[in-house]
Amino acid sequence: MTELLNLPWHEARAAASGRELVEASLSAIDRLNPKLNAFLHVARDAGEGMPVAVKDNIVTTGMPTTCASRILGDFVSPFDATAVARLRAASCSIVGKTNLDEFAMGSSTEHSAFGPARNPWDTARVPGGSSGGSAVAVAARMVPAALGSETGGSVRQPAALCGVVGLKPTYGRVSRNGLVAFGSSVDQIGIVTKTVGECAEMLGIIAGHDEYDSTSATTPVDDYAADLDAGVRGLRFGVVREAVSQLEGEVRANFDDALAVLRGGGAVVEEVSVPTIGYAIAIYYIVANAEASANLSRFDGIRYGHRSARAKSLREVYFESRGEGFGDEVKRRIMLGTFALSSGYYDAYYGRAQAVRAKLRADFDAAFRRFDYLLTPTTPEPAFPIGAKTDDPLSMYLNDIFTAPANLVGIPAIAIPSGFSRDHLPLSLQLMSPHFTERALFRAANFFERETGYWREVPPI
Amino acid sequence: MKIDRNEAKRIADLAHLEFDDAALERMAGEMTKILSYIDQLGEVDVTGFEAVADAEATPLRDDVPRSSVDRDAVAANAPAFSEDGHFIVPKVIGD
Repeated sequence: MTELLNLPWHEARAAASGRELVEASLSAIDRLNPKLNAFLHVARDAGEGMPVAVKDNIVTTGMPTTCASRILGDFVSPFDATAVARLRAASCSIVGKTNLDEFAMGSSTEHSAFGPARNPWDTARVPGGSSGGSAVAVAARMVPAALGSETGGSVRQPAALCGVVGLKPTYGRVSRNGLVAFGSSVDQIGIVTKTVGECAEMLGIIAGHDEYDSTSATTPVDDYAADLDAGVRGLRFGVVREAVSQLEGEVRANFDDALAVLRGGGAVVEEVSVPTIGYAIAIYYIVANAEASANLSRFDGIRYGHRSARAKSLREVYFESRGEGFGDEVKRRIMLGTFALSSGYYDAYYGRAQAVRAKLRADFDAAFRRFDYLLTPTTPEPAFPIGAKTDDPLSMYLNDIFTAPANLVGIPAIAIPSGFSRDHLPLSLQLMSPHFTERALFRAANFFERETGYWREVPPI
Repeated sequence: MKIDRNEAKRIADLAHLEFDDAALERMAGEMTKILSYIDQLGEVDVTGFEAVADAEATPLRDDVPRSSVDRDAVAANAPAFSEDGHFIVPKVIGD
């Protein structure tokens, strides 16, 4: 039964019925979830269809949505997120909700109110985050595909650390209706799959304008699988000098090997400068947290979720419900964001971060005038041990140093397995491309996957 | 940028967050450390990039009446909800 979930979609569909696929998925979840804590809720009554897992900050009818936070209480959404509704309409079955850092704030899934998810390649290590549960569920072959969400790398970074494919589409490509808001100028629903072809198929299902999300793009949905086998001959790849200049050891060697694979296919690979890319984390932690401080003001103990039993006045309902309901990392980010927007500091922090962000965008535009793609490793290191960074928020934040730029600029980016470290932990290559060129992104990523085939190796769990 | 305990308290009040003394002290220290990293943004020459407002307006859909989410489903999620269809909060007007 597990072998069924190891097949690419089109082969799995030919080999089994929708009911068999869901049963295979539920039985894999039963067997593996006690070790991995990837799922916060399992939909026993999932029925039939292609099994898909959904990150638990994307709302679903008929099952809880917790955002891995105590403040949501036993909240059950009265509506499906648009991406979920589109999956259901395309004969996919939602088999469960996956673990995450509380409100998607983190890079390790350790900031979950329900305990950390674990990396299937080494359960003493983190799976990355914040969409850690979704990455684990796909890597351990509990589901063929999962939805995640991205604000600064929350799909690509865990996909990298778990050895699977992770896509952040262009800002606005997928409706965010039903995605619990974090940083509204950077948030985007993303996809985790085993293979590039499955990722292209998933995007074709969930992409497109939605009248319930006014920031969703009206740009026509592309045929994302059309160029999967077109190769990379003559395509131009820019290696971001500022990002790779400090790489060392096995991450450097692995990245150089990946460049050789692209060159072997006839691609042009040259260095390019993106001078402001090193400021991405600093920009991100002001912009995303400022937006989060506003978005999370809705959790006030009045309309849904947790209300403190100690609260006797309206002020106490707000302060004590939020004090009890939010975890430390969420509070830290609300505090930073509130500070950056507060009177006297707005221009120096929020205004300055937006200005540097505009300059970063201009730097990317200039690079894309010369190159079809930009390349970096997805992460600066493979999966780190659980607990290694929880006492040092800044070192945790810096794990997103290569992924956050694409969110700030709004471009699509994909993480694809590029091999293994000496300790046999997954390493990952990131490709970025201009706005709304996901089809081209899948083309290059699929070439790389076909040449290397790392997806075929399954974690020893 | 150094955040002291009093500044952390001011921000916590704005953010509607409750901390005990030890947590407030710790938060002030962590914020100081993170902001010292963020302060590197000050070294970037942003001449020509100061105007940040997006030129493109967000497109709006037509404002026409339509059915909304089910009231019973909303009531089921509320910590306190009255039979005549209101969220219940502690008394906000004095006697």
